[in-house]
Amino acid sequence: MSARTLSDKMLSTNHMGINITSVMIGVGILTFPRALAKETGGIDGWISIVLSGLVAFLIGWLLAKLAARFPRQTFFEYTSQIASKPVGYVLTFLVCVYSMLFVSFEIRAIGNIAKQYLFYNTPVEMITLSFLFVVQYAMAGSRISMLRLNLLFSPVVLVVLFLVLLFTSQLIEFENVRPFFSSDWQSLLNGSQAVGLSYSGFEIILFYTMLMKRPKEGTKAMALGLFIPVVLYLTIYIFVIGVFSAEVVKNLTYPTIDLAKEVEIPGGFFERVESIFFAIWIMTIFDTCMVWFDIAIINLTSMFRNVKKMVWILLLSPIIYFIAMLPQNLVDFFTFADYVTYYGMIIVYLCPILLLVIAVIRGVKGHE
Amino acid sequence: MMRKFFAHRNKKKTSPLMQRMQQSQIPDQELSSSVKENLELFRTLLGNPNDLLIRSFLIGNSNHLCAVIAIDGLVDSAMLHTQVLGRIQLMLSIAEKTVPVEPDEILSLLFDEVLSVVEIKKETSLAAAVDCILSGDTALIVDGTSQIILIDSKGWKSRAIEEPVSEGLVRGPRDGFTENLRDNTVLIRRRVKDPNLRFESMVVGKRSKTELLVAYIENIADPDLVKEVQRRIATIDVDEVEESGFIEQWIEDDFLSPFPQSNNTERPDKVSAALFQGRVAILLDGTPMVLILPVTLGLLMHSPEDYYERWIVGTLTRLLRYLAAFFAVFSPSLYIALVTFHPGLIPSDLAFSIAATRDGVPFPAFVESIMMITTMELLQEAGLRLPKPIGQTVGIVGGLVIGDAAVSAGLVSPVMVIVVALTAISSFAIPAYHLAIAFRMIRFFAMFAAAIFGVYGVVLSLIAILIHLSNLTSIGHPYLAPFAPHMSKDWKDLILRAPVTFLKDRPEMLHAEDEIRMRTGDSK
Repeated sequence: MSARTLSDKMLSTNHMGINITSVMIGVGILTFPRALAKETGGIDGWISIVLSGLVAFLIGWLLAKLAARFPRQTFFEYTSQIASKPVGYVLTFLVCVYSMLFVSFEIRAIGNIAKQYLFYNTPVEMITLSFLFVVQYAMAGSRISMLRLNLLFSPVVLVVLFLVLLFTSQLIEFENVRPFFSSDWQSLLNGSQAVGLSYSGFEIILFYTMLMKRPKEGTKAMALGLFIPVVLYLTIYIFVIGVFSAEVVKNLTYPTIDLAKEVEIPGGFFERVESIFFAIWIMTIFDTCMVWFDIAIINLTSMFRNVKKMVWILLLSPIIYFIAMLPQNLVDFFTFADYVTYYGMIIVYLCPILLLVIAVIRGVKGHE
Repeated sequence: MMRKFFAHRNKKKTSPLMQRMQQSQIPDQELSSSVKENLELFRTLLGNPNDLLIRSFLIGNSNHLCAVIAIDGLVDSAMLHTQVLGRIQLMLSIAEKTVPVEPDEILSLLFDEVLSVVEIKKETSLAAAVDCILSGDTALIVDGTSQIILIDSKGWKSRAIEEPVSEGLVRGPRDGFTENLRDNTVLIRRRVKDPNLRFESMVVGKRSKTELLVAYIENIADPDLVKEVQRRIATIDVDEVEESGFIEQWIEDDFLSPFPQSNNTERPDKVSAALFQGRVAILLDGTPMVLILPVTLGLLMHSPEDYYERWIVGTLTRLLRYLAAFFAVFSPSLYIALVTFHPGLIPSDLAFSIAATRDGVPFPAFVESIMMITTMELLQEAGLRLPKPIGQTVGIVGGLVIGDAAVSAGLVSPVMVIVVALTAISSFAIPAYHLAIAFRMIRFFAMFAAAIFGVYGVVLSLIAILIHLSNLTSIGHPYLAPFAPHMSKDWKDLILRAPVTFLKDRPEMLHAEDEIRMRTGDSK
């Protein structure tokens, strides 16, 4: 195989950026205005979004630096190299648990939202199971093809989102947006934390840098990958508040989907646009889901080289499905989501940054 | 995964292949030096058929026995008379040229001076001689030497160059490939006067010995691509190859995929355009269908007319085609999903009128759709098989049955008829017939998904199809390029067709050696 065809099988910097964006845009973007409106009580939430965006970029930059230090090594390999093999095993295993929990969260979210907006009689169990089957199918193929799906889905999703914003722009009432700058710092910080929970996803750079054509440009990919979601979060938040007012948003489960509900397509070709919106949104949740599943598999295969990928897919799926079915109601479900994210913050933000510090101090470097 | 399987399959077959080659081959034996023995050899090997032409004669004023052997009908008999037999008789007998005594010298004399044919060669092996005779050469045997002369005298009846039936165009050249390989190479050569045009000859089919040409333009086409195509063709182990479809199925990357992984065409302009892009074409003797490799989904959605018409027309037709592809696959499933699961998505007035028309229909929307779509498929297949005059009748009967009678009988709703018509017309708008078939197959998959999960199922089926397409390759090239992997340069000629002056580069995905096809900067 020639070098050119080989480089076709790797990720360009832009592709990596799109991957980050696709993973970040998932369920979080549908729910975050509620949490943010609760904390900040108004349009000031945008400050929280920017603030948490900056923090996310700082963390992301550090993670990209760490991964770029070990350009062609897996997460397991470089954690072992920095902090001894046992630590590598434990940390990688915890990351696998995290990514599996994430997949469970995403597929359960699909079930919940589909139940609310598309179905009345179909049980959540079946909706979730069918989704998991398609995710398995994506896993069974090659990794690069799977990541290429992000390139296919993200433009569609962005266009649909843009259309929704376009059609709702006339519904914004200036009254809803005021007053400006009324929140105190404490609530803004709380708001940042609330948004930050739905920002998770950019940590995939830790695991996919080894597939990049130019691993050094990981930080660039991170900048691109974070810029799109942050801008989207900002716009959506302003629109949601502008259309519904903060008081209403606090009580909406999925404010972003409800924003789509307000769309009236001229000519009346479709009614209930929110169902269509969600139907398209399945794609982006699918993106998030498959990437997390893949990260679990990357890490497992890097630890146990003798076990085939297919075995892991079949082994993990029932576990993921079982965990996804555990939350009994929406409250349970969102608590579950919060716990997963807090857990993730320790495992994929704090620990890798510590590793980077150790690596810099001890001068550990990867090989090309 | 599929390629691994492919490699594995070949590895397993290599050793039996060698054995079978030896079994089916003509015994590897030298020719005898006696004419009589040689003639007997040929006769027994071929089973003394009645189309075997043998003419023995004495050469000049010597007493050397000679003979010509050919197969009647495969050779141009006029040429055989004037250029071979006539020349020998005239030059050696009447001109009273002294004929040498040594048989080898006679042979050289004939070879060098007498025979005025361009393609001519000497041969001593029986197997090679028989192969040549069976492909239309004439053998000339001289008594006393084991060498024979093989004269290229191919000249059989072949179809004239006609307009391609399966790919009609409003604008564009009217000539199409024929069953004769030589005609086809001519049609390509006339379009590609580049000296770098290569026709690599290969033979496939152990018994049919069909000639196959791998055509490409050296220093445009990626050498790795050419090598890979040749490697895959070399693995073909079958007795006979009737059509390029055999080749296509042997060398494709994924035999489980409903999607075609190579393009076939009878249009020489399409082939030459592909060659100039850096693709490889496979020409097979005996079929007008030429394979083009590698292909992408985007390429299969193109028609040569996109380039012949002005760019605005080309662009809009392409947009229309992508829309058609969407309708061809998803319109019945969307109907099922909307009617069964989400009548709320349809505007209320329309929802009521659809419900009213479905009032007397005894079946659920899914059964209704399956019935109608299957009928449509049946009609399409029947129309294909019937002779032209009856074919029209099928159209009328089918139209009446589908359109009117089914509705009046209360079997289906009128809206369903519109959906079926839309689906059928859309699938005819796909320029590549084999791609349209793939869409027809996926349609059923999407319908089942819609019947179980409504719009959610339709989206899941779309995702599943895209996963499959993303994994699919054609000779190792990603099928969805330049969508994914994203190649921004190639987007100029994908869904849109940019004005010709903008199309300066060859497709990036093909890794062409010479990437630039237009140097507008230099010509200024």
